Amino acid sequence: MSTRDSNGTTLINHWQLGVPVSRGPVFTRSLLLLAALAALALALAAVRFFSPLGPFSGMNDAYAWGIWKTFNVMTLTALGSGPLALGLAAWVFNRQRLHVVMRTALVSGFLFYSTGLLALGFDVGRPWNFYSALLPWRWNSESAMLEISICMPLYAAVFLSFEILPLVLERVYYTGNEQARTILRTIAPVIRKIYPFFIVGAYVIPLMHQSSLGGLLLLAGTKINPLWQSPVMPLLYLIAAGLCGLSFMIVLLLIVCLRYRRPLDVGVLNELATLLAWVCCGFLVVRFADLLWRHQLKAAFAFDRMSFLFLLESALIMIPAIAFRMRVMRETPRGLLNLAALACLGGMLYRFVPTSITFMPARSTSYFPSLPELIMAIGYIALGIVAFVVAVNFFAVLPGDSSSWDHTFRRIALFRKASKHGTSASAD
Amino acid sequence: MSTLINRRQALRSMMGLGSALTALAVPEPMTAATEEHPAHPVAPHNVVAMLFDSTICTGCKACMPACNEANGLAPDTLLSGGIWDMPTDLNAQTKNIIQLYQEPQGNGFAYVKRQCMHCLDPACVSGCPFGSLKKADWGAVTWNSSLCIGCRYCEVACPFEVPKFQWDSWNPKIVKCEFCYDQRLKKDLQPACTAACPTGAVIFGKRVDLLSQAKDRIAAAPDKYFENRAYGEHEAGGTQVLYLSAVAFEKIGLPKLSSVSLGHYATKVTSVIYKWLAGPLLMAGVLGFAIKKNWDRHETERIKHEEETGFPDQL
Ligand code: SF4
Ligand code: SF4
Ligand code: SF4
Repeated sequence: MSTRDSNGTTLINHWQLGVPVSRGPVFTRSLLLLAALAALALALAAVRFFSPLGPFSGMNDAYAWGIWKTFNVMTLTALGSGPLALGLAAWVFNRQRLHVVMRTALVSGFLFYSTGLLALGFDVGRPWNFYSALLPWRWNSESAMLEISICMPLYAAVFLSFEILPLVLERVYYTGNEQARTILRTIAPVIRKIYPFFIVGAYVIPLMHQSSLGGLLLLAGTKINPLWQSPVMPLLYLIAAGLCGLSFMIVLLLIVCLRYRRPLDVGVLNELATLLAWVCCGFLVVRFADLLWRHQLKAAFAFDRMSFLFLLESALIMIPAIAFRMRVMRETPRGLLNLAALACLGGMLYRFVPTSITFMPARSTSYFPSLPELIMAIGYIALGIVAFVVAVNFFAVLPGDSSSWDHTFRRIALFRKASKHGTSASAD
Repeated sequence: MSTLINRRQALRSMMGLGSALTALAVPEPMTAATEEHPAHPVAPHNVVAMLFDSTICTGCKACMPACNEANGLAPDTLLSGGIWDMPTDLNAQTKNIIQLYQEPQGNGFAYVKRQCMHCLDPACVSGCPFGSLKKADWGAVTWNSSLCIGCRYCEVACPFEVPKFQWDSWNPKIVKCEFCYDQRLKKDLQPACTAACPTGAVIFGKRVDLLSQAKDRIAAAPDKYFENRAYGEHEAGGTQVLYLSAVAFEKIGLPKLSSVSLGHYATKVTSVIYKWLAGPLLMAGVLGFAIKKNWDRHETERIKHEEETGFPDQL
């Protein structure tokens, strides 16, 4: 089944389909700790709902956007663009092999988006007026903010949820009774009928709002350092989304496979790394061409604070772009993990700094997130991790070998240790 | 009142996502119109303006309580220990402020009045998602509490850092000078601040008139005024508040800005892509074509595979 390469590091296997994790306790101590953190964040969010923003956050009129927007939304939804990047590669560019990791991408992407939207929901000051989203005649169609505030929830609530639906239905199919199966057998063809139409929407919509996140910053004009402020920001934000999405997928797959002792599929990871290298190159070409065109290259190499930040960001993206050309880097877990993590950090840095470090209003005050702000930002991430762990344990998310799974699922029973081999709920 | 503004709004709603349907109902000639956000917007001749001459202002601050009173704002007494209005900057209870600039060396000084600039093509209006901020009659930029979601994009967008957010309120409002639109303009009164000014340092009038008056003052006293020009004629595409100053504009807190309006900069590409939703629809068509092809192939393989294994394939 699995073999070792000459270094004894790589386990070669073939991922064939999503296989749930069926061994080991689900709610380990560290997971409970994360769940506690998430609960604390949600409790704070509830308090925030009845409290003004001022005492809650370090935000002020000059830095009107805090980390909930600049990190949880601007940065983390880039990591959540895995379904977009992988989906385009798999369905549009026909990279068949990547279908098997789609589910991992979908679940993680959905969680990034939904926790980001949660953050956004407690960040806006007058959420009760948001019903205007349903009244098109109120839309200011030229506003990037409108595009984001409508497209993002739409994408997560309709398109991503629809793409994830088969995961849930599959569990019901294998664990439910005969009646449920009959129903599912009749609706499955319907889902398959509309699926291709939905995925068209599922790619067009994030293409729109991921670029609009960059478009948002155009209006900030000279407040953003000229190394970042550029008319191509929407394009770069989009490419960075692809870059973060792909690199985060590699990192995530490696981490969960390590954690759950799953064999790796070098072929798939290799392909992801190749794609990532191309996206990194594309990003750098656009980035440098833009600087050249705007006569900012000199400032980029001025070796002051901003220039170092820029060089760091570019180096983080350039190293994987070059190193992934080497086969050995694409085929050893360590090379993959390190390089993908670098690219991911580089992409995140690009998505984060224009609204934070390089955002310099003239009447500059300073901003540093307050403690509740930080706890909430981290807590939302913890919530995402907890949900992800639960999902991989109870649904067939992570890629695996088809012979390692007999179509049974863990029983949904909180805090009870699952038996050594996967238990079948249908055996009840 | 102004057909121009209505026309602008009609055009804008046609441009995008929002009202593709409305657009179908609108006669053809209206749609073949000028650019929504020209780089250098031309002021309609009926828009009003303020002209502030820093060389006349004595710093009496009569305009500040007048503004507070007209707008029902409580004085900001934080620094004065509860005694009198003493804001340090525009803030959630200050729509208008007189600030003092002092030369670091020497004893030169100048006063500057700050409030919303009522840009001809305001960045805040371009960004506001549900049109809470809008360019109302006479070009006044107003805020509507029932449309604002509190996203604070206007604060990020405004190049003059004018809109302020009520951080301490559960029902936070965006606070900014609205040219006394509801309180006074609509009643045919001039704004409270210009009415209160005893020296004529800040005056109210039509923008065309005030601009030519500023130019007359410059011509009458060559080299008295910094750069021999009025700030606001071209800044950020032009504003409806004009400044004359003997001191460098940047020193008194008027930022150096390009003459291209931010709305033009931000929408010149997207307005083409999103016009009639053509870009996204085209993209959907192209992607749909490729997906359909690959989907069909995938389905044939799936059916074969399901027959082999006896289990339904995963989607
Ligand atoms: S100065 Fe700022 S708030 Fe006032 S109209 Fe211009 S962009 Fe809007
Ligand atoms: S905070 Fe309110 S007024 Fe400002 S941009 Fe957002 S919705 Fe518009
Ligand atoms: S126009 Fe009205 S709101 Fe604006 S500064 Fe003058 S008094 Fe205040």
